[in-house]
Amino acid sequence: MTNDALANQLAGLSVRLLHRLAKNRVPRHFRMGKNRLIQTLLELPPEQRAEVETALASLLQAPARPPQPPKPGKVDKPKRQPDAVSRPAPAEQPHSVPAKPAISIQALFEGIGVPPPQPFKPDDWQQEAIDRLATNDVILSVPTGSGKTYVAVEAMRRAIEADRMVIYTSPLKALSNTKLTEFTQIFGADQVGILTGDRRDNPQAPILIMTTEILRNLLYDAASGEIDMRLDTLGLIILDESQFLADRERGVVWEETIIFCPAQARLLLLSASIGNPDEIAAWISSIRSKSCHLIQHRNRSVPLRAAYLDPSGKLAPFFRTRDIARGRGFALHPETKRLFANYEDQTLSPRSKR
Amino acid sequence: MPPAIHPVDLLRVLRHQRLTPAIVFLTSRRACDEAIGSFEHRQLPIPPTRSAAITDVLDHMIAEYPSIADHPLIPTVQRYGVAAHHAGHLPSWKIAVEELMRQGCLDAVFATTTLAAGVDFPARTVVITQSSVRKDRDIMELTVNEIQQLAGRGGRRGKDYVGFVVVTPSPYIDLGPIANGLTNHPEPIDSQFVVSYPMVLNLLKAHSIDHIQPILEKSFAQFQLNQRADAYETKLDDVETQLETYGQRECADWIAQWQSFSLAKKRRSHHRRKTQHDSPEISAQLAFLTPGRAVELSKDHAIVLRQYRSRGQGAPMLTVMRSGGRIIEYPASAVTAVIDEVIDVTEARRFPWCTPQSLNHAIETLEQFPARLRRLPIRVDQDGADNPILTETLRDEFPCPTCPSRPACQKDHPQALKLRQEEHRLTKTIHAMRTELWHRFQQHIEVLQKFGYLTPTCQLTSEGDWARLIRINHSLLITELIRMGAFEGINASLLAGVLASIAHDDDRPASFAGRQQALISTLGQVRKVAHSLSAYEEPPLLRLDVAAIVDRWIAEPTLPWSELIRATTMAEGDIYRLLARTLEYLSQLHGLRSTHPGLADIARDAMDLMRRDVLQELP
Ligand SMILES: Nc1ncnc2c1ncn2[C@@H]1O[C@H](COP(=O)(O)OP(=O)(O)OP(=O)(O)O)[C@@H](O)[C@H]1O
Ligand SMILES: [Mg+2]
Repeated sequence: MTNDALANQLAGLSVRLLHRLAKNRVPRHFRMGKNRLIQTLLELPPEQRAEVETALASLLQAPARPPQPPKPGKVDKPKRQPDAVSRPAPAEQPHSVPAKPAISIQALFEGIGVPPPQPFKPDDWQQEAIDRLATNDVILSVPTGSGKTYVAVEAMRRAIEADRMVIYTSPLKALSNTKLTEFTQIFGADQVGILTGDRRDNPQAPILIMTTEILRNLLYDAASGEIDMRLDTLGLIILDESQFLADRERGVVWEETIIFCPAQARLLLLSASIGNPDEIAAWISSIRSKSCHLIQHRNRSVPLRAAYLDPSGKLAPFFRTRDIARGRGFALHPETKRLFANYEDQTLSPRSKR
Repeated sequence: MPPAIHPVDLLRVLRHQRLTPAIVFLTSRRACDEAIGSFEHRQLPIPPTRSAAITDVLDHMIAEYPSIADHPLIPTVQRYGVAAHHAGHLPSWKIAVEELMRQGCLDAVFATTTLAAGVDFPARTVVITQSSVRKDRDIMELTVNEIQQLAGRGGRRGKDYVGFVVVTPSPYIDLGPIANGLTNHPEPIDSQFVVSYPMVLNLLKAHSIDHIQPILEKSFAQFQLNQRADAYETKLDDVETQLETYGQRECADWIAQWQSFSLAKKRRSHHRRKTQHDSPEISAQLAFLTPGRAVELSKDHAIVLRQYRSRGQGAPMLTVMRSGGRIIEYPASAVTAVIDEVIDVTEARRFPWCTPQSLNHAIETLEQFPARLRRLPIRVDQDGADNPILTETLRDEFPCPTCPSRPACQKDHPQALKLRQEEHRLTKTIHAMRTELWHRFQQHIEVLQKFGYLTPTCQLTSEGDWARLIRINHSLLITELIRMGAFEGINASLLAGVLASIAHDDDRPASFAGRQQALISTLGQVRKVAHSLSAYEEPPLLRLDVAAIVDRWIAEPTLPWSELIRATTMAEGDIYRLLARTLEYLSQLHGLRSTHPGLADIARDAMDLMRRDVLQELP
């Protein structure tokens, strides 16, 4: 195989598979990034190179998903195969327009500081979510740290005022505990209860916090008519961190919870940015009596910038531009490129191998 | 150059650039702990007022969670304003660190990338040191979702004008994926729907079997499958339209008709090749090339001694005797003419393939042959090679050879066949997508029927009626153990130990001294049962060491937490999670009190004994 052909095939592989190919052939392969790995694999002596080519051929032939022990019931997904042939390596966008000069490190660090306290004013999307919940299910997909909790709290407040009960679920017990403290501070200790696998604290309270598994179990019991909870007064179910729908082991629990959610209760899904919130909204709309309203945006409420820090202590802007642009490719800062190339050269040279 | 910046230098730079507080994501728990430890050697203290503030917050936390009072990291936190936060710590410690961070007391928290979702506190800066993570023994590139989850903690609303991601290299970094993760759109979510035994039992408890399919169709899995199936339907329509362009032929299903016709033709010629794939000339000759026959080979004469077929090709071969008694093998095709002359030769089964007398006689006769001999005219029947019977059937069964559509069919068939195959493939795929979940469900039903949890009409048996309350991993193993009485008369600590080893699915190595004979033999039995069920449910790890830890915690109700920790190499956060998980499993057994009161009581006892010390602190 020619160098180019091999390089091409390697570039199409996921890093995981590249590391597999490099195992026992390239010393300290785990230290390398994708490009470096490919480079090193290409430079192997002929015999090893032949081995790599054979291994590669069998990788490409093998079914993309390694044969699994018959895990009962897992639905096979023919569509997106993350493994063998992955998405094309993200190319650095060539700048067609005459590029603006790359920014300086001083400009990158300009404007750091603490804004003066401001009176709280909900964002439009927050208000919209709360209003929509009066009549619809809502899925909220906004970046981390935007203020989803505010929506949850206001929605809870409205539900309690209407004498309805609220269930709030999180994927992790640790997060449940944090929320218990937070909601108790807002609503008072008598208003908030928590259910775990083995404990019930204040289960008569109008706001109940639990993990999604516990809620799913409650819904099982409700369906077979042997519930000791007041699900008929349930007005709102909030599923925080609902991107867990994609969790390999637990995702099914989120699906079941949404399917079995009582018709009279509204659903509020809080999620970090995900790729297809519209698809999830369409799904929920298709199975529930009311349509599910999607609220999403990708703008961070606090702008984010990126810097590169060399082990020598030198700092450089990570990208050519100051703010991180979305969905338009990227261009690394020339200084970062230089420093990183230098880093790779020095740390991967034979001299540094002990 | 060092492979990564020293944590103390990192913090110095961050402070200098006013980039604190920061969350530093590192590859492992050990890396986090070592980072914190390294501050002791390279002093970088914080002002006394900050230390005092930290002490203040910690005092409040200790009042609520006494377990953190003696935490070994406290002095470091107070002196340097840094902390570690990872799954190896107790939840109470993590809550304390989060509170310190929220109050602005810390400059940096060192956390592991794997638990990014559990890091629910923001900072001004997020430091990323890796672009791949170890997952199930493979090294995987971080996804866009994961990188945005990490980076998203940078920049606190209301406390920062701007947030930062600082990328600093470590042995596990490549800049491409990080840059891509920061700028690209996150990946779409795929359904991970699985059918499980508790799901089947609980659905069938509430609904009759006829109502199950519509419920499964409400899943996101089916929604996505339907979308894919719809896309395939469009393709299928397209294929069908293309097939229509071939128009009407003499027979209704001309593609299948032509397909079997050409298959039969192929089989016929194949059949011929096998027994007589010789040319018509040769096969006509062969009948005459029997021992004793005189033949012409190039210009020379020879006597045939034997006719046979070559082993590999099955080609017709001759052994002949040429002038001077030379015995030579030739392909039958080397015969240029068959002579109208046969001499008497008595065949033998071995070389020279005739009796010595015959051989001598043949040699003599050959010497005396005149130069020109009469050649035998051989009639070659052009169709003669065809098996007459097969030819007959072909004509009878298939109208094709005489059909007026024949030329059109012959021309269109290759392309049409491809389309027809695509049509079948698509139809099958679509059908599979529409019914896949239902099939999975039925497979589970069959297993549950086999084990007697469901009746043949898919109602819950009395066993199924309680088994549905076990809604945890390895539910089949647990219900089977209960049914075979494996837990009868068991003591509380042993029961908890067994459940712990069923619940614990982490193979992070650990050790624990002081194993018990009872535990070993009970786990041995459980392992046998798990193995016998392995066709229906993946067996648990059944680790003895984790069972022994839990067993000891219950068996010695006065054992302090710190001593339990000292007896094992497992991190205390892991032990906490193990015990919490065991409590959950026990509470499911306790839920069986109406059908299994004895077992429920033992489970209750175990739970009461477990909930003390650290395990009392949090709900
Ligand atoms: N309208 C607003 N104006 C100013 N600050 C706000 C507003 N809404 C929320 N915040 C603040 O933003 C911070 C982040 O909010 P929150 O914890 O709800 O984020 P989140 O979206 O839930 O993030 P995560 O993805 O981490 O769960 C909080 O400190 C909150 O007080
Ligand atoms: Mg949140």
